[in-house]
Amino acid sequence: MTTRAVIDVTELPRHEFDTYDPVWWGNNLLLAIETSMFAILIATYFYLRQNFQLWPPPVAQLTATLRPLPELGYGTANTILLLLGCIPMVLADLAARRGDRRTSEIGLVICAICGFGAIVLRSFEYSAVYFRWDSNAYGSVVWFMLGMHMLHLMILTTETVLLAIWIFNREYDMKHRVDIVTVAVYWYWVVAIWLFLYAIIYFTPRLG
Amino acid sequence: MSHEEEQKDLVSHKKAQKAQERKAFRTTIADDDLEAAMEGERQELERTWARPTGIRGWFTDTDHKVIAMRYIKTAFVFFIFGGIEAALMRIQLSRPNNHFLSPDQYNQIFTVHGTTMMFLFAVPIVTAMGIYLVPLMVGARDVAFPRLNLFGYFIYLIGGIFLYTGFVLNTGPDAGWFAYVPLSGPAYSPGKRVDIWAQMITFTEISALVGAIVVIGTAFKMRAPGMTLNRLPLFVWAQVVTSFMIIFAMPAVMLASGFLASDRLIDTHFFNPAEGGDAILYQHLFWFFGHPEVYIIFIPALGFISPIIVTFARRKIFGYLALVLSLISTGFIGFGLWVHHMFATPIPQLGQSFFSAASMMIAIPSGVQIFCWIATLWGSKLNIKTPLLFVLGFFAIFVLGGLTGVMLASVPLDLQIHDTFFVVAHLHYVLIGGSVFPLFGALYYWFPKWTGRMLSERAGRWNFWLMFIGFNLVFFPMHQLGLNGMPRRVYTYLPETGWGTLNLIASIGAFILASGVAVFVVNVVWARRAGIVAGANPWKADSLEWSIPSPPPNYNFHNIPVVQGRYPIWQMTVDAPVVRGLSTTKRETLVTSVMDAQPELRFDIPGPSIWPLMVALGATVALIPGIFTPWAFLVGAILTGAALTAWFFGDPNYENKTARETGERSETVSRTPELQPKEV
Repeated sequence: MTTRAVIDVTELPRHEFDTYDPVWWGNNLLLAIETSMFAILIATYFYLRQNFQLWPPPVAQLTATLRPLPELGYGTANTILLLLGCIPMVLADLAARRGDRRTSEIGLVICAICGFGAIVLRSFEYSAVYFRWDSNAYGSVVWFMLGMHMLHLMILTTETVLLAIWIFNREYDMKHRVDIVTVAVYWYWVVAIWLFLYAIIYFTPRLG
Repeated sequence: MSHEEEQKDLVSHKKAQKAQERKAFRTTIADDDLEAAMEGERQELERTWARPTGIRGWFTDTDHKVIAMRYIKTAFVFFIFGGIEAALMRIQLSRPNNHFLSPDQYNQIFTVHGTTMMFLFAVPIVTAMGIYLVPLMVGARDVAFPRLNLFGYFIYLIGGIFLYTGFVLNTGPDAGWFAYVPLSGPAYSPGKRVDIWAQMITFTEISALVGAIVVIGTAFKMRAPGMTLNRLPLFVWAQVVTSFMIIFAMPAVMLASGFLASDRLIDTHFFNPAEGGDAILYQHLFWFFGHPEVYIIFIPALGFISPIIVTFARRKIFGYLALVLSLISTGFIGFGLWVHHMFATPIPQLGQSFFSAASMMIAIPSGVQIFCWIATLWGSKLNIKTPLLFVLGFFAIFVLGGLTGVMLASVPLDLQIHDTFFVVAHLHYVLIGGSVFPLFGALYYWFPKWTGRMLSERAGRWNFWLMFIGFNLVFFPMHQLGLNGMPRRVYTYLPETGWGTLNLIASIGAFILASGVAVFVVNVVWARRAGIVAGANPWKADSLEWSIPSPPPNYNFHNIPVVQGRYPIWQMTVDAPVVRGLSTTKRETLVTSVMDAQPELRFDIPGPSIWPLMVALGATVALIPGIFTPWAFLVGAILTGAALTAWFFGDPNYENKTARETGERSETVSRTPELQPKEV
């Protein structure tokens, strides 16, 4: 009787972390798109700066400060909050890999709170810039940078909340553990991008 | 850590890896048992992968073949629309002082023609070829993200309908397909025309990005065991390179059109020089996308050419590695060329030299590929069928377009003929020659796989020669017209210019070209009913899509094959191993490692769903009313978020299905007691 060689895959798992899972690839490719978007946005910022003798430009009213540098308070608070938010995310991430449900749950909840906090702080950051989006090109590009990042904060926070709701109410299966690890990558990315934007928006004008 | 400890650590790491690998193993099964088992499974597979029908099917079906066919049909309809617009322009230009079209109609028509051909025809149709064929070529049961794929189609369709709704309401964009500011800005283009253009860009670019993710995910993670990257079909390589280009190029146009829309709608000043904005910035952003866009259209076509040549020359491709490296280097160099569209703007001389050199350099990988193909064809016994004819036509036309490309790369010459018909001639030679001819070849080549029937060879030859002669008649005279000084985008010209004769020849050519396309349409309609039945592999080709019936079953592959070489069908031995153990009662495919295609996971493939459509509609609420009021973005964002939430929580049977499946094991494989670690 002739026989046929067979590769039996019955025992293969359905989900595995990181590069194993197509979801990880999908998420990272989306982040690649957004990374190139932010890179081009930063290039735009510096391109527009060439058109200004003073950056940010002086305010028209004499009562205002002559050199309206963006105020550091809210932006710095936000940076610290986002960096601190990385800790529960790392814990949730590691817990998901071990299968420690309780830690994942707590980590996600704290992260969601940090996300809300960052959104609130962000809405104060706009006023720290002195210009509205329709004042001049400086105002336009800074508002756009803050806005695009805020969009990501909102999506990230919503995603974290939804995932937390799932895990509290339904089962903590491999599929959703992989999801936690994937959301964690998104979280780290949002924070990393913010560090660049923070340095560029708040400090490059101070350098001269 | 001491040396011994390090060694020990390494060993235990390897052991851990081994343990993981043991999860998929080689075994054998008696042929008769396999036959019998497959017979039983077939019905189950049919049931599991059954497609929703009727209206429901229209809105929820996630089968990549169905989605890709819709993409191809929709894009072809837009191709015909774009062609009609081209014909109208050619009628208008056929003689001096013609008043067939008004200047305003002419502006709208050439803008919509360019926009349609680039965004609604070329990019979608070449990515759609990938969406159809990549899973079949790599041996997967569906794409990596089928629902995302469905979403991409809807968003593309809505964007296209939106543009044409504006156009028929006399609100078609009229600032050229690249909509330069300040002409397209709020000061010189009041009304909604340019807003429609900018928003249509958003739609099509979301769709292209989504398609790119789907293609890369599938090509990287869903390959059949044994299909290492080194054995990846050249078609798939081309699709992967294109998808990466989309990922890095499209965000630029997203920003360009986003800035333009916000300048127009909420008074930002990105492009307004009075408030520190910059009009040249728009050109940089647009062409940082726009030049790679040319390669996004062209590289998939290179992927059509290789399999066609291999099949009809009946031999292995010459220089596989050189071809792959050329594709990748074209992908990289393609990003270093954008400024050559802007030589007429104040660019520093150093910059001009750099971009001029890069523009000439891109000819090298293109040249390498053409020589590899010629070397493959050389001395082989050619089987000249219509697909190969189109490829040979590509050689003639594309090489001519490439030559004028090298000419345009030189700054002084470019300044002389900038914005003349010479550029029009050049871009149509590279785009129609480089992409549309291979595309028609590909349509003839894969039509039997899609429908199970062959297109007529005789009509195919008519189709080719009408298109080839017509094409050269339209566009060759344009080189001369450009050198004589005829600017592009003028709605008419005076008799004294002496441009009348050449324009008339071009217009006659346009109708010959159009009749070639008409022959194709008739051929398709005829072949659907009465074409010769094709069978699984009518061309005796080498890649995996030809190993399954035509048209393919919903689940593509019953047993996922194990690939033994670069030419899977030609190199398949009689006792070639197959993959067993994937579920037949649940949509499942095999996930393998990126480099070596080692089996890793049994991956759940999501089935039909209404939510992709709902998310697309949510985005539509944001984008279309968004050109009238910014509040629409808020409402649309909420609706999109709600739809995405439902998508996430969507499938209520998910847990039950998993629970039922986890314990279940395929009983059809008889195992040998000693389990060998697999070595695929």
